[in-house]
Amino acid sequence: MDEILGEFIAETLETLDVLSGEVVAWEADPTDSSRLDAFFRFFHTVKGSCGFLNLPRFERLAHGAEDVLAAVRRGERIADPATVTAVLAVMDRIGALARSIGGDEQVPESDDDALLDALAVSSGGFEIFAPLPDPIGRDEAPVEEEEDELRVEAPASETPQRPAVATVQPTGNRERAPRTIRLPLALIDQLMNGISDMVLARNDLARKMRDHGVDPDLESSFERLSANVADLRDMISKTRMQRVDRLYAAIPRMVRDLTRELGKKATLDLDGGDVEMDREMIEMVVDPLTHIVRNALDHGIEAPADRLAAGKSEAGMLTIVARQSGNQIVIEISDDGRGINRAALVDKAVSAGLFSTIEAASLTDAEKLNLIFHPGLTTAAQVTSISGRGVGMDVVRANIEQIGGVIGITSIAGRGTTITMRVPLTLTIIPGLIVRCGELFFAMPRGNVVELLHQNSSMVSIETIGGARIATIRGERHSLIELEDVLGRPRAEQTGPRTLMVIRSSSGQPYVLGVQAVESNEELVIRPASPVITAAGVFAGMTLPDNGQPMLLLDAAGLAQVAELPLRDADVRRAPAAAPDTQARAETIQALIYRERDGTSRLLPLAVVDRVEDLAAAQIVASDGLAFTRIEDRLLPTLNTSGAESASVKSLRLHDGQDQICYLIDDVVDIIEVPAKLDVRIGAGRIAGLVMVGEAQLEMIDPFMLFAEAARRRGGDDATRPIQCLIADAEDPWMRTILAPLLVQAGHEVRFGQASEGAPDIILCAQASAAHSAGDVPVIALRDSAEPGATAPGSIYRYDRDTIMAAIAQAVRRVA
Amino acid sequence: MTDTLFLFASIASAPIAIRAREIEAVVRLGDIVPIPLVAAHVRGLAALRSRVLTVIDMEARVFGTDGRGHQAGLAVVADIAAHSYGFLVDSVSDITQAPGGIQPIRGRIDPAWAPYAGGLVERDGRSHLLLSLGDFVSAPGTTALAA
Repeated sequence: MDEILGEFIAETLETLDVLSGEVVAWEADPTDSSRLDAFFRFFHTVKGSCGFLNLPRFERLAHGAEDVLAAVRRGERIADPATVTAVLAVMDRIGALARSIGGDEQVPESDDDALLDALAVSSGGFEIFAPLPDPIGRDEAPVEEEEDELRVEAPASETPQRPAVATVQPTGNRERAPRTIRLPLALIDQLMNGISDMVLARNDLARKMRDHGVDPDLESSFERLSANVADLRDMISKTRMQRVDRLYAAIPRMVRDLTRELGKKATLDLDGGDVEMDREMIEMVVDPLTHIVRNALDHGIEAPADRLAAGKSEAGMLTIVARQSGNQIVIEISDDGRGINRAALVDKAVSAGLFSTIEAASLTDAEKLNLIFHPGLTTAAQVTSISGRGVGMDVVRANIEQIGGVIGITSIAGRGTTITMRVPLTLTIIPGLIVRCGELFFAMPRGNVVELLHQNSSMVSIETIGGARIATIRGERHSLIELEDVLGRPRAEQTGPRTLMVIRSSSGQPYVLGVQAVESNEELVIRPASPVITAAGVFAGMTLPDNGQPMLLLDAAGLAQVAELPLRDADVRRAPAAAPDTQARAETIQALIYRERDGTSRLLPLAVVDRVEDLAAAQIVASDGLAFTRIEDRLLPTLNTSGAESASVKSLRLHDGQDQICYLIDDVVDIIEVPAKLDVRIGAGRIAGLVMVGEAQLEMIDPFMLFAEAARRRGGDDATRPIQCLIADAEDPWMRTILAPLLVQAGHEVRFGQASEGAPDIILCAQASAAHSAGDVPVIALRDSAEPGATAPGSIYRYDRDTIMAAIAQAVRRVA
Repeated sequence: MTDTLFLFASIASAPIAIRAREIEAVVRLGDIVPIPLVAAHVRGLAALRSRVLTVIDMEARVFGTDGRGHQAGLAVVADIAAHSYGFLVDSVSDITQAPGGIQPIRGRIDPAWAPYAGGLVERDGRSHLLLSLGDFVSAPGTTALAA
């Protein structure tokens, strides 16, 4: 019995979660009877189960709500806001009751009458406790369990099986929801541990097999087993993932309630609910997200009258989008409200004594915006029950950073605010660098590591001033600490140079950590370390890598603290004009230093570089002064060719989101951070300006000009439109079976027939003759002998694919 | 009933008893990876299949000595506040019922033992000092106060 009761509570609460979003959608479109059916089923199920479980309060509430919904279904009543509110209140009460069965909390019974009264009052004079609809009135609800619904009215005939069947209905009948079962989390964790054990046993076995040497037959069997184990581990990790939908479930209801309370109007748009993230992560993000949504409704979106006065639609727009980006989940919350009032923020900050008015004047816009994350600052003129108590965005940021995430904000006055949260996919598996410290190994989260350098690299100079060690890397000074010193371990003798890691942490300035060596780069399953270990202040967790030797995860911020490095706040006071926090680092961009083919070093924004590749000379086709590189049957415009290429050459593949171009270079030198603002603007040709890098100044390439140049060469709009190829000799088997598929693969469109039909961009034929030409459409003649004969001047050998492709591209360009 | 079931062991040649419900297993540990910057009684980390145990040297904790010198062997495995620990003991004699239950301490106990001793448990006519594992991972006495 207890088991059934527990099941009932769990089912009920879960269904409530799912329904809270639906109810708002239903209010927006009361005619949507499929939604109505979902609620009807819910109350019906609750009512049915309660009869069996002897829970009269549930039954009474569910019955009341069910009657009202039945009246709506019959068309005797409309789903006005009052009705929806009353139905929602009953749903809430059922939820509260269900939770109170689990715990000790008691909900006074007398309140139920008020809720039922609310249902009755909002009925607008209809008889709400009317008998359930007759079968004729219910034909707009084609649900299979109609028979069941009818029988509910006979409580005496409840059979033990019915409620059990009924509890399955709400989920079972939702055609969109995939089939699921409910499992205790502990079981999944056990399963996960079991798999980990298996992986360790496998590794142990593998080591022993290596040591002893086994015959290849056994080895191949082992390989198969080993691959299975790896697959299994991946699958089990997936059980931890949940759809972001879960995060979204409560939001529509919250938006509805808040807008009602605040007298505002807002439409909510949720996107990316199918993105998956770790369930622990979802739990960690719920509170920050809730807070941001509240802020957006309370402060962002204006009252309807103000919106109309500002020339906006009456209802504000709140958009929440989730997407996966690499191993991060990005959640963006945007509103089209009034934006953040920078002046008010700065005033508050000045009056709170954070800095003087003069210093405030030198803040950049991003720095001003980031003040919103400062403890105790809020733009709310008055404290409301919803937000504005000053415990706000600072807590949100702390929460997000605690789970290794980043939060950013952009806001345009009068146009709205967008807050972007970036959080790791999962809390428990992170990429880490394994560092050696004597005979001990530690892991450092890769997210904290900006770059790795050898101590003797030419880019680094180390000095000691008054006991403080400073590493200057490309003109930037960082505090330098050695891992062994912080951990109080002896420095081991070593032959090679030590490795310097540039570390950034959420709580302070970036610093440089010297370690004996960086051994490897692994995906680590992180578990919390026990309090006696975290008391040391430098460990964030522990992990058991595949070799079976436990390892501790270093805490980047903790190391800085233990080493007593200057903290962020102290730095703000000393240099107020400097970035008040790491957020302002967004002002720099990553740039690639490379050597041009003439030997000059230049910079290119890293964001446009898709990849660095070696191109074979044969891939590069130069024709008519233009060059193209053939990559997987596509021709990419190529810059910087030096006539006919003789040897393989390095190339940067640049992309602008749509098109790609190849940019030939001598070699890649380094990747560095440079200010987004150029030191000297030039804006001549390909050069955007000069950037100071260390002791030298380098020219920064303007990618806009490169793509513009490439686009000019390509000509016209054919970049977006496929080239129409007409094959004049439709009967020629080579043309039909060899050439046509090749052209289609290259992204062209191929038709067969006469030139007069349609408007081809190019005509391909075996022999150029007047019959094939159609106005000024270029004609390419393909000959079948490798040597150019006298009969067909200007023709191309049919197996010279590169030349054919280039000729097509070029001919079309000429037309354009 | 289960409250009269105890694990009998010895630390620093003192006979001790631990409530059986506190412990999960007794294992022989493999390699222990030392941890820098922690208290001397935290010996390090040891892997027990896929679990990672924080190894606590009970003797070092009681007497404030540095136990890193001597060999670690048997450990009592227990989960305390969702973390797994291994508590080093010199030897384990038995897990058995002590019908007499927990008796108050007689005589003046060594001040080093005082914060940890929760009573006496008798087995085969010998008294064993009752210890609570929770006291060894937090400051002594705090768990008792909280309870």
